[in-house]
Amino acid sequence: MAGAVADRSWRASTPEAIDADLSALWREVGRGETPVARAVMSNLIVFRSPSAASGEDAAALIRGLPVEDVVARHPSRVIVLEHCHGETPRAPSASAVGILTFGPATARYGVELIVVRSACPEPSLLSILRRFVRGDIPTSIWWTEDMSAAQPSDAMLTIGRQLVYDSRRWRDARRGVAALAPLVRHHRVDLADINWRRLAPLRRALVHARGPLKSDAWRGVDVRVAHAGGDAALAWLFAGWLRAERVRCADPTAAAGAGEAAREQDREPLLTAWIGTMTATLSAHTVQIVCPDAPPLVVAAAAESEADAIAAELRSLAPDAVLISALGALV
Amino acid sequence: MTIVIFGGGGDLARRKLLPALYNLHVDGVLPPRIAIVGVGRKPMSDDDYRAFAKEGVEKFSRRPIDAHAWESFAAALFFVAAEVDGEQALGPLGARLDIVEHERGLNGDRIYYLAIPPTLFAPTVKQLARSRFVPPPDGRVARVIVEKPIGRDLQSAREINDAIAAVFEERAIYRIDHYLGKETVQNILVMRFANSIFEPLFNQKYVDHVQITVAEEEGVGTRAGYYEQAGALRDMVQNHILQLLAMVAMEPPHSLDADVIRDERLEVLKSLRPIQGDEVDANVVRAQYGPGFILGKAAPGYTQESGVAAASVTETYVALRVCIDNWRWAGVPFFLRTGKRLPKRASEISVHLKEVPPILFNADPGARLDPTILAIRIQPDEGFSLGINSKVPGPHVQIYPVKMDFHYGSTFGGSSPEAYERLLLDVIAGDTTLFMRRDAVEAAWQWVMPILDRWAERGRDGLVTYPAGEWGPEQGEALISSAGRRWLAP
Repeated sequence: MAGAVADRSWRASTPEAIDADLSALWREVGRGETPVARAVMSNLIVFRSPSAASGEDAAALIRGLPVEDVVARHPSRVIVLEHCHGETPRAPSASAVGILTFGPATARYGVELIVVRSACPEPSLLSILRRFVRGDIPTSIWWTEDMSAAQPSDAMLTIGRQLVYDSRRWRDARRGVAALAPLVRHHRVDLADINWRRLAPLRRALVHARGPLKSDAWRGVDVRVAHAGGDAALAWLFAGWLRAERVRCADPTAAAGAGEAAREQDREPLLTAWIGTMTATLSAHTVQIVCPDAPPLVVAAAAESEADAIAAELRSLAPDAVLISALGALV
Repeated sequence: MTIVIFGGGGDLARRKLLPALYNLHVDGVLPPRIAIVGVGRKPMSDDDYRAFAKEGVEKFSRRPIDAHAWESFAAALFFVAAEVDGEQALGPLGARLDIVEHERGLNGDRIYYLAIPPTLFAPTVKQLARSRFVPPPDGRVARVIVEKPIGRDLQSAREINDAIAAVFEERAIYRIDHYLGKETVQNILVMRFANSIFEPLFNQKYVDHVQITVAEEEGVGTRAGYYEQAGALRDMVQNHILQLLAMVAMEPPHSLDADVIRDERLEVLKSLRPIQGDEVDANVVRAQYGPGFILGKAAPGYTQESGVAAASVTETYVALRVCIDNWRWAGVPFFLRTGKRLPKRASEISVHLKEVPPILFNADPGARLDPTILAIRIQPDEGFSLGINSKVPGPHVQIYPVKMDFHYGSTFGGSSPEAYERLLLDVIAGDTTLFMRRDAVEAAWQWVMPILDRWAERGRDGLVTYPAGEWGPEQGEALISSAGRRWLAP
């Protein structure tokens, strides 16, 4: 379904007039020569912290985010919320509505976007979200910020079934994990970590090479993990995955840099694990497992864009029990 | 044709009737010879009335004003000041109507629109009779349009109906429920009876339950005087919601004749299982909004609103579990809810089909599939959607509920006619299909009365509150969750 945007229609709006302006925009789109069907598979609330760059143009709030690519893969009613905590309840200060159209001229479909900038106390934030989400489709919250620095409020989480985030953005992995602790303990919302998806090929390869984590092959083994700069969260998730099955794993450490050439060619290991005599290396494109008594195992790590990953998570309606276990072992 | 609007200087005329008539004029569907005469207590010149109408059209019409169209429309507008008290109260109106009709070459066919409080319905129609405004049935056309509410209980509804029936024949009485004029409501019949896929499923064999939500974001605003006497049950359930229920649940009519369709709607109302005595406590939740937030802003509670008594027991929210005791719907609960200060303005009917058996794809109790839901969106996002579980492309069996979504705006473009446009046009054409017949109004009151009686007995007992901006009180959620279902938020 992924394709380039065929057309973009935007209209500045006021918070009270968003529904009417969106309807008017659909009528405009509907008057064209090509019929445009509305495509909506979920609500996607995209949370952003205030950015000075966005200025007064509410539509600019999607700049720098792969929103168009995500909805091209998973058509959603997108509600972009730029929110900063305010002391007094007040209406959102600016808003815009848009329709992105995709597909060939014979089969156009459109996706609607609502952009809102607000500054109000957390309890009143929910009243803004309730106004714009549709109740007959799943709702996901895409937290675009560093969760180790700013976390979604409890109120906000009550409106979504799923929280999508990327732990690669965490500047402090320990604080990021700590921020997730209440969600892991009480399972109020399904967690979808884009970074966790990057571990999937490594996990699969290790299970293939050594057996399931519950098997005897993992008993009594000590595991060490080193990670590239910026991939501490990935290493901690890996450690959590092992610890959840009672495999002994030391706290991850940062690896020495691999050199400019390797980094440029995406060959720098993101993560290296030493499991007894076995060494497993995850880089951007491959997983390599080396052990003395068998030929090396090299498997491809399929390249997945951020938009691909987010869309895949939005389509998943079941909780990721393995991720929850891994986080549970860390908190 | 002359349209005489009693209450012609009022809010309904300004916001709805005059903009609707203007749009019908722009569409070229009004009779070529027409006069629209506003009647009110406060004197106003014709030019003042035209300015009043223009302001209403500019603000509330779905189309911007067109100078040429306005000029010809305004020429048909007149105003007469009149009272309905006194022996010859409508004498001056009669004289003016004669002049206007003579000058514009009209034949004396008239429609009287009672856009006035219900307490004035009976005195006004009496005056119409006394002033010989209503010719014998075989003479010129004389029709009367009555706005809801028709009474505040069964007895007062009967009194109003008796008073009108003493002057007009039933076929000349047009009781407006503007919900029936909405495109999406009319489309319910088309959807059900023009498609072979839906009608075979609309029964107790396949439908698990039906929900009807009519949500308002606004509070009581400036209508406290009326609302304090009415409440959500009278204001919304007795009329709009029961009419929607009747449209969804009615049997297929054997023709599109107005009375045939109205007979079928009446049958549904007559089949509603009465809710009486302490059954009311178990099947009906009433609540009042407290302080909360709407779209980020603080909103006052109902009893803090201007014109509302601090000890008011008027309900602003009501949720009901309703059963229809007929062959088609036996055992299928209908969950109805309406309220003010809910998170958004939205009216929606959803038909929830029964789950597939818990084998194959629905075997995991921890990951049950979404049931198939047909959602009919009445407003504001007009259209309907059908949820279908579908396999996500890929090597694994992963199921996702996709929507087949029909959306008026993107499908047909342009703006749909307002409900009042359609309804006024039907009155002009003499089509009563979308209007409530006396027996239906009284059947609806008859069903509602035991609930009102129980509430009167209990006073404040059982009246709960909910924060403004939320989907009602916990008790409203419990009403449906205790039956193993959950409300579908529009």
